[in-house]
Amino acid sequence: MNKVMTVDVLSSIKGAKPSETINKLFEVINQADLSTANAGNSNKNAVPLDSLREDNVVESSNLEKQLIVENFPQEKNGYLVVAKVIEA
Amino acid sequence: MQSQIKYIHQQLVDKQISCVDLVQQRLDRLKQNTHGSVNTLLEADALKRAQAVDAKLANGESIGLLEGIPFGVKDVFMLQGTHTTASSAFLKDYKSAYTASAIQKLLDAGAIPIVKENCDSFGHGSSNENSIFGAVQNAKDSELVAGGSSGGSAVNVAKDFTVFSIGGDTGGSVRQPAGYNGVYGLKPTYGRISRYGLMAYASSTDCVGPLAKSVEDIRIVLNAISGKDVKDQTTYKSSQIDEGALENTAGIKTVGYFKNLLDNEGMDPSIKADFMSALEQIKAKGIEVKALDFMDADTLVSTYYILAMAETASNLSRLDGTNYGNRIGAENLIESYAVTRSNNFSEETKRRVVGGNQVLSQGFSDEIYLKSLAIRDQLTADFERFFDDVDILLSPVTPGLPPKVGDSLKDPLAMYLSDAFTVGFSLGQLPTLTVPQGTATGIQITAAKTDDERVLQFAHLLEETL
Repeated sequence: MNKVMTVDVLSSIKGAKPSETINKLFEVINQADLSTANAGNSNKNAVPLDSLREDNVVESSNLEKQLIVENFPQEKNGYLVVAKVIEA
Repeated sequence: MQSQIKYIHQQLVDKQISCVDLVQQRLDRLKQNTHGSVNTLLEADALKRAQAVDAKLANGESIGLLEGIPFGVKDVFMLQGTHTTASSAFLKDYKSAYTASAIQKLLDAGAIPIVKENCDSFGHGSSNENSIFGAVQNAKDSELVAGGSSGGSAVNVAKDFTVFSIGGDTGGSVRQPAGYNGVYGLKPTYGRISRYGLMAYASSTDCVGPLAKSVEDIRIVLNAISGKDVKDQTTYKSSQIDEGALENTAGIKTVGYFKNLLDNEGMDPSIKADFMSALEQIKAKGIEVKALDFMDADTLVSTYYILAMAETASNLSRLDGTNYGNRIGAENLIESYAVTRSNNFSEETKRRVVGGNQVLSQGFSDEIYLKSLAIRDQLTADFERFFDDVDILLSPVTPGLPPKVGDSLKDPLAMYLSDAFTVGFSLGQLPTLTVPQGTATGIQITAAKTDDERVLQFAHLLEETL
């Protein structure tokens, strides 16, 4: 695989290219009077270790399971059909 | 205190109207879909719930304040068994397998969801034109946009199609349409309301927020849906806000406003003049008003959009058509992903996903992404400094008036810049309420983090002042 991951590959969107609009946002940040030296992230949304929820398996209801199956893009005998990933 | 919820509750209790008639009336209005605000009507389920409320009343049982009250749900919230499309081609046939925590709390309180509401696809937009269901038209003038992304929710409240609605606000998506349509819209402190079951756009700023026609109704709904939730571990435990507390405004002595943002060349003169006039009326109440210097609008908007795009690129990577969604088959898995995403995402969603991957890609991540995080840190420090000096921050909701339908999509950058007044408070994770007073698109009231009560107190004061 090519080592250069272009935005169309990264995004799985055909023909995607960096846009002029986004480049303008980048220009503003490039010119902003700040260095990355202070980068921390003071909006800490990480959860303290002492308040993690219990690591328990919770069984889904039958209705929930039924709806998940209804949402399968392709289904066969109650199983999800996925694209072939290994060539024979 | 003015409250539609209390008024309707009393009508139900006094048997002036049955719950079935109440719900049917609202459904009949929504069926006409005059403003394009409806994605799915929840008629059968809503009427069943209404019958249950009527049965309780007929048996002489008491009902709770929210019991039987019809409300709307932005079409990005899971509600088990209902279509939840995010106004996207990708999920046009998707059904929620479970129910969002905020919506579940309302169901538990007896409120009745009657409609899934139009919005910008995946919350990507400020005009509610980025939707497979078409543009939502403004409640005051159908030639204008409703605003976004929770445009359908704002219009439904403004037109009395719903008593209140539940929207989602990432960078202004509740507050801006509330301002454009003349209703109240709250973005609470980040973490006050669980995001579980809200489709993720930018997880570090995504908030659930109520829209309603009075401060009191915002308070009632906020109390019902706030609280710690193990399913969203960014939530925190908060206290109920009492009705009596809204009268207690003695602690609000100083308000601040951002002078530099008002001096921006993109500012509509009428909004600036009306905002300054509102400040004078507040001064006349004996409250000190201080001018503050804040980050410039370009930096605010660029920082927000860069971080939001990076987060949405990550969040929407799960949408590949494998387990759910509108899969388009191709010769192999990689090709199927690409065709499915290319054909099902709107242009605006693709722009944001591609922009986000650009931000996060090698060569940009340090230069752009980390620098944007550093700017966000500086902004958070600025807010802490401001709140050492003032009790409340006031600002317009938007720099301009609502554009005409069709104009926003022509210039995405102009659409992003129209969020200049809302995105800063999102980055700061602060509680901010749009009130439909003061300017043509309202005023935003902001308090320090977790002080949502103070926001409502000041809003109540403005109800009596402006």
